[in-house]
Amino acid sequence: MFMKLVEKDERRKSLSAMAGYLNTSFMISTIDTEYLVNIEKGMVTSVQEGPFIMPSYVFKLTASKDEWLKFLQPIPLPGSHDIIALLRRKVMQFDGDLHPLMSHLLYFKLLLASLRPTEVKSEN
Amino acid sequence: MKIEKEPITGHYGKFEIEGISNRIYWEEAGEGIPLVCLHTAGSDGRQYRALLNDKKILKKYRVIVFDMPWHGKSSPPENSSIGNYKLSTDLYISQILSFIDGLELVKPVVMGCSIGGRIILHLAIHFPEKFRALIGLQSAGHLDPYYDINWLHRQDVHGGEVCGGIAYGLMAPTSPEKEKFETMWHYMQGGPGVFKGDLFFYKYDGNIGNEIKKIDNSKCPIYLLTGEYDYSATPEETKILADTIGIKMVKMKNVGHFPMSENPEEFLKYLYPVLDKIS
Repeated sequence: MFMKLVEKDERRKSLSAMAGYLNTSFMISTIDTEYLVNIEKGMVTSVQEGPFIMPSYVFKLTASKDEWLKFLQPIPLPGSHDIIALLRRKVMQFDGDLHPLMSHLLYFKLLLASLRPTEVKSEN
Repeated sequence: MKIEKEPITGHYGKFEIEGISNRIYWEEAGEGIPLVCLHTAGSDGRQYRALLNDKKILKKYRVIVFDMPWHGKSSPPENSSIGNYKLSTDLYISQILSFIDGLELVKPVVMGCSIGGRIILHLAIHFPEKFRALIGLQSAGHLDPYYDINWLHRQDVHGGEVCGGIAYGLMAPTSPEKEKFETMWHYMQGGPGVFKGDLFFYKYDGNIGNEIKKIDNSKCPIYLLTGEYDYSATPEETKILADTIGIKMVKMKNVGHFPMSENPEEFLKYLYPVLDKIS
């Protein structure tokens, strides 16, 4: 579901300009499955799919697979179009040290939105 | 080279608000019924550029948009310091009334979005006789915090980056990217702690409970319009408000929290009938 984040297409390359000093690891959880994402200088350098024995990461975003799928629709419906919208509906949880996330909030929003099939044209 | 000159004029003036002198910036265009527009928390009057340039509206309305103190080109009040800004209900009302009195506007229409959509409810409760009509965009009676607003003002996080990131998500994915970018840019240009200070009103001090029942639509007509992609003030919350007041609300398709700036073309389709009715 999130393995494509490591693919370096033009969108993701341009996003790295927004996060040139960002080096972090974060976990995306669909509750059933976990994905460990590593970022160096604003570029995703690896995505590993769990299960993990002792994963090390800075923060975690958790929502059900169903909610993630709604978020990843080409044009998501109201309430599913943004990670804070999911937070507002209490179907997503942010855990851990949120500093990398909140200090690069737009970057992470656009990074996740880059997985939407037709989001290519409407996002930076 | 010929430029495309806009009809907007900008002005500065000193207004006394709660006994303190405030240097306020405002823009206006058009002639006729005064239409005072209130920007959202953490942004400024540039959000209403489309209205200030709309020939159809300017034929009947004098559109006036001021930057609140601390916002846009308005200065912070005298003797201010960073980190102590908090917008209260009383202060917000004083700003609006001082501005209207200062410009000697008689029975203006006031339209506000988000915090502006909240304050028009307070105006409807306490000063209905002063207004020809009130228009609430993204109005909700109250809002419980759903994220930690302390992130909006921390010295180890760039305020422009985080405020822009918050604002971006409140817009519809279907709104034009260039308008979304500019709407976000206004947020990125806000001063430290200003967005957070505004949200003190939006999430705490300005919450309205049963007082909503005091609104008498016959004393001053109220119109409520809310974008479907807004998860801050949702259409469902506006509907509860409208039902309590006993009016109909309009749910706007394909727009989010900033209808007038994120997708003006779509927004104006909904606003024209309201302005026609008021005039």
